Amino acid sequence: MQGSADVDTKLGWKRGEMTSTRTTPPITSRTSGTGSDARQPDPRHLFVRWQRDGDSAAREALVQRYMPLARSLTRRYGRSSEPFEDLLQVASLGLLKAIDRYDLERGHPFQSFAVPTILGEMRRYFRDSGWAIHVPRGAQERALKVRDARERMANEQGHSPSVNQLAEYLEIDVEDVLDALQAIQAYETVSLDAPRPGSDEGAAAYGDSIGTDDERYELVELDATLAAVLGHIPARERLILKMRYVEDLTQTEIAERVGISQMQVSRLLRRSLDQLRSLTHAPVAAG
Amino acid sequence: MAGIPNVRLSLASRPENVLLVRQALRGLADTVELDAIELNDISTALSEACNNVVAHAYPGGEGPMEVEMLASSDGLEMLVRDHGRGLQPHASDPTEIGGIGIPVMLALADSVEFAGAEGGGTDVRMRFSTPKAGVLAAGRSGPQTAEELPDEVDGDGQGVYLAVGPPRLARAVLTRVLAAIAARARLSTDRIATTGPLAEELVAHLAGPDDEGRLALLATLTPRQLDLLVGPLGAGSSLDGLAPTLEELTEDHEVLQSGAGELLSLRLSESGPGTAPRAVNGGAQEGH
Repeated sequence: MQGSADVDTKLGWKRGEMTSTRTTPPITSRTSGTGSDARQPDPRHLFVRWQRDGDSAAREALVQRYMPLARSLTRRYGRSSEPFEDLLQVASLGLLKAIDRYDLERGHPFQSFAVPTILGEMRRYFRDSGWAIHVPRGAQERALKVRDARERMANEQGHSPSVNQLAEYLEIDVEDVLDALQAIQAYETVSLDAPRPGSDEGAAAYGDSIGTDDERYELVELDATLAAVLGHIPARERLILKMRYVEDLTQTEIAERVGISQMQVSRLLRRSLDQLRSLTHAPVAAG
Repeated sequence: MAGIPNVRLSLASRPENVLLVRQALRGLADTVELDAIELNDISTALSEACNNVVAHAYPGGEGPMEVEMLASSDGLEMLVRDHGRGLQPHASDPTEIGGIGIPVMLALADSVEFAGAEGGGTDVRMRFSTPKAGVLAAGRSGPQTAEELPDEVDGDGQGVYLAVGPPRLARAVLTRVLAAIAARARLSTDRIATTGPLAEELVAHLAGPDDEGRLALLATLTPRQLDLLVGPLGAGSSLDGLAPTLEELTEDHEVLQSGAGELLSLRLSESGPGTAPRAVNGGAQEGH
């Protein structure tokens, strides 16, 4: 049996060792005392049966018992840009680790050990998937969906929809709609500001706040003058642009077709867009 | 909390207000450029602390929930305060079921403190170490003035009170919070799109000096209408450049006398003549 300290470091969980003081004694929520433990068998026996005797049925029972915890943490820490089921898998893995490594002898409730372990697993998943640096595709696609839905609903009902209407229509959270609107607005602001001399840095900052990947927004920005300048782009890069924006292929799919790496695709797209931007560095016609 | 908080929110302990707190945090995160994981950690922990107030601080009712965010050179500090039923710490409670909110806070924050607030209630103080927060702290020089709205307009608990500074933080936070409040008031998305430019202009004209300026605002919501009190209109603030923006982006505006100073009163609604003014940036791109 391993101790909890071992797990913490193993997960790379504790940040800033110096400041990670826990200034509070064990504390329970205000709703304490309403636990349903009485109705269930004591989980300590299950831990003993699994950890000491290797009884896998006991382990299964523990998983069953604590799955709601993993589920709850997935809802709380997960973000809607990631599929819930994927994250639940990650949380379940964290739960298994916690069940295997929980040290009954230490006397702490399982929950106080399992919560950081499961969160640590999800956090690591996010970090490993590059989630920290790149705004997930899901968020970008949602922004585009919100933009389209907003336009469609405005046409259908004759006036611009409310955030709640959009959220209902798209079956997403109000908060996600708000985030999408911010993203859309930032890009529209950029396109208005772009002609201003020396505004390149500002434009980049706006783009960065949404995610460096979503070149499609830049295309919106460039739309008006795009056709006129595409001829200046080398054939292969033009092809890549077409695959990305007209055929809506992912960078990885393009990489496979063209026979280069995804990184190269990313760089070429970046370069093409920079080039397009410089070619169209004139006010985007408002209309 | 050392120093004046960069963001102070005071609102009713209702579930929907937790979203406003998160949106304010998003503005802060954008300004100091937190990465998505840092933001997710803080946002989750902060939500848990707020949800705790919403669910438990005022049994059978609601009361004030106050949130403060402070940036310093070593990190961000989040304070969530209620004036309700105090938190009851149990030295050792074997109950495993019960809230997982506190374990989540403990897991995500670098430190968490629970303390009784003055006059009853609870302070939950969480620290998150990140050097990025230093960019806000660094700009602060000398004693920071904490100009906020006079007490008498500090809300009757029904409105949403926000005080935020310095200006570059105020822009991001106000933009997020205004949009979220406008959405709550059921304003159309076209109308909501104008709250960003409005926030920019308010901060530019009213917040004061770049390093230590500050803007305070009280929002009151009714269906399809949003009333704002913004201020104080201290020295250095000028309505001159602001008037055209207000003409364009609000349905009504006037300057009110209030005790020591002046306040700007604004109304945003859908009920103006015809449809609300189209977002200034609405037309061109959306036509495609």
